[in-house]
Amino acid sequence: MAVNINTVYTTVLYILNKEQRGYVTPAEFNSLAVQVQDEIFQAYFPDGNQSNRQNQKNSQNDTEFFNMFKDTSYKLYPFERDIIFAYNAANLGWIQTTTSVIFKLGEIISTYNTTNPQFDSITQLASKSDYSQIIRSKLTAPTNQHPICFTTQTTTLVAPSTAQQLLIKVNPQPNVVTINCLVVPSSPSWGFTVGTLGQYLYSSATSVNFELDIAEQTNLIIGILKYCGIIIRDPEIIQTAEAEAQEVSINEKS
Amino acid sequence: MGLITETNQQYYQGAQGFRGTGNALTITTTFNSDLVFTDANSWDPTSVNYALNNFKIYTSTTGFPGSWSEYILQYNVAGNAITFTANPANNLFIVVQLSILDGGQYGNTPAEEAVGDTVEENYGTYQYNTLNDIIDNYMVGYVGDGKIIQTAKKSDIVFWAKRTLQEFSYDTLKSIKSQELTIPASLQLVIPQDYVNYVSLCYIDRLGVKHPLYPNNNLTTNPYYNQLQDSAGIPTQDNFGEDLEGTSLTTERWRTNNAGRAINGLAQEQIDNLSYDVYQNDMGSGPLNWGRLYGLDPQYSQTNGWFGINERDGLFTFSSNLVDRLIVLEYISDGLAYDLDTRVPKMAEEAMYLSISYNLLANRANVSEGMIARFKKDRRAALRNAKIRLSNIKLDEFVQVMRGKSKWIKS
Repeated sequence: MAVNINTVYTTVLYILNKEQRGYVTPAEFNSLAVQVQDEIFQAYFPDGNQSNRQNQKNSQNDTEFFNMFKDTSYKLYPFERDIIFAYNAANLGWIQTTTSVIFKLGEIISTYNTTNPQFDSITQLASKSDYSQIIRSKLTAPTNQHPICFTTQTTTLVAPSTAQQLLIKVNPQPNVVTINCLVVPSSPSWGFTVGTLGQYLYSSATSVNFELDIAEQTNLIIGILKYCGIIIRDPEIIQTAEAEAQEVSINEKS
Repeated sequence: MGLITETNQQYYQGAQGFRGTGNALTITTTFNSDLVFTDANSWDPTSVNYALNNFKIYTSTTGFPGSWSEYILQYNVAGNAITFTANPANNLFIVVQLSILDGGQYGNTPAEEAVGDTVEENYGTYQYNTLNDIIDNYMVGYVGDGKIIQTAKKSDIVFWAKRTLQEFSYDTLKSIKSQELTIPASLQLVIPQDYVNYVSLCYIDRLGVKHPLYPNNNLTTNPYYNQLQDSAGIPTQDNFGEDLEGTSLTTERWRTNNAGRAINGLAQEQIDNLSYDVYQNDMGSGPLNWGRLYGLDPQYSQTNGWFGINERDGLFTFSSNLVDRLIVLEYISDGLAYDLDTRVPKMAEEAMYLSISYNLLANRANVSEGMIARFKKDRRAALRNAKIRLSNIKLDEFVQVMRGKSKWIKS
């Protein structure tokens, strides 16, 4: 479940204004919200990697709800998409058909549906040099059941895009390519209307909530507060927020 | 859930039944064998590709024997799903019959029968895993977080799985192939397409008994180059600067020799001459000297016949006494030549996994020697187990063989 942006904004304002420390405008808040959401999102990967080492050492706590690696993996669910790629003859490869901004490529499934039998094959993503070597060996040459691919970028622009895009080349040529991707979180925005007194009134219709999991609400507030402390030049806010964040971090990772 | 997904009828008869609904109908077969349907016109019995289908469809309004007729209206096949263009009548009995050697029990005429060997190819397949299954199982069971092999490229797994299958094919798996052939007047047979090495050759007599043939290793040879020479012995060249080559005289002489009567590598005529030569230098008359060729060399003491391998031309060559003989050539392949070959007996499944693991770890950087040694031992033990299992030693049969010996076996 996503984090409601109004809850975060009002909480931040409440904490900041508790001792008349200052005020953060919606525009400032929205910028900080994007920044903090991105920080938290990016931190999932090193954090997941770190906690997974406990799996590898066989020291991971796997009781229900308390496996930190699974917890981190779970937090990525809002950003997972099965994105269908379409073959582009001009570039001799596959390009995505959606407007989502892909952050990472996960499992690649190549579907061969004009062959009999049909295959939905897990596709190995290789570097270009590995690809070149693998296809030259008779033992490892890709087949419908063991296809291989590499990534590059388009050389011919594909409308409506005005920039080069991710291009995936799969061997042998499938009929459909579907990739389980992580997409970049959409930018949160606290939407508002202006009241009769000139005050900002929350508008849910024009707002975009944080896409992060609800468990990140506290981290979002702490993170935004940290940056607010910088804006309003209050070291005490910064120190308090950083101490809070560090405590959470140590507790989670130790 | 059991591993067997076919019904008894599907396995033994290669048939699966459905019922019409009166509406648009798509039926999906669940045989182990996938349907073969070459192109969009393959439904049409007058189409050239109809004969390439590995199945036929029959319908009946009652389902009684003799009431079935071949379905010759249009349908399409995608994967194993058959979609009928015209709606089959409600409760119409529909049977998909895979091709089978006896044609199945639904055709009324030989032309209607589904003749082929798709069903027979599926018989006995439960004793095997496909190589793709082995690879998929390996990825699940041996590669991943918290396992000894944390990550591995799938292409590496595929490589080692195939290499392992090749090695196992040579000495572990029951993968001996055989061909029954008749030796032509040329006394030559082409090496089989998937040949790696021979196991044995034998000729079959009128009673079906086999008689082993032996290699002519030390008797003759098949020269690789047969250059034409000038009077000075220098090889001559053609207009392109390449050596001119002729046919081998060695091969020709061996081919025309009555080698079937050879003893100790010598034809009867040569033995007679030898005896005579000995006589000339020794004593007595020719006939009295016969038999002075002492001691038979076992490798040459046979009259069944000889074979050789002409590596240059890719041929088996045979001695002249074998012309028109029926022979059986047993040979091994590497298990990768055909799809049907890429099957691994379940008896050797564990050995496959451990062999892949060992090869992956042994070729990986920063793996401790202890770990490699452990997997080497595990692989060896599993391979030995597989060999014992596949050698198919049954105690009763073993005892029966040993009863013919002088040794008393207590059991």
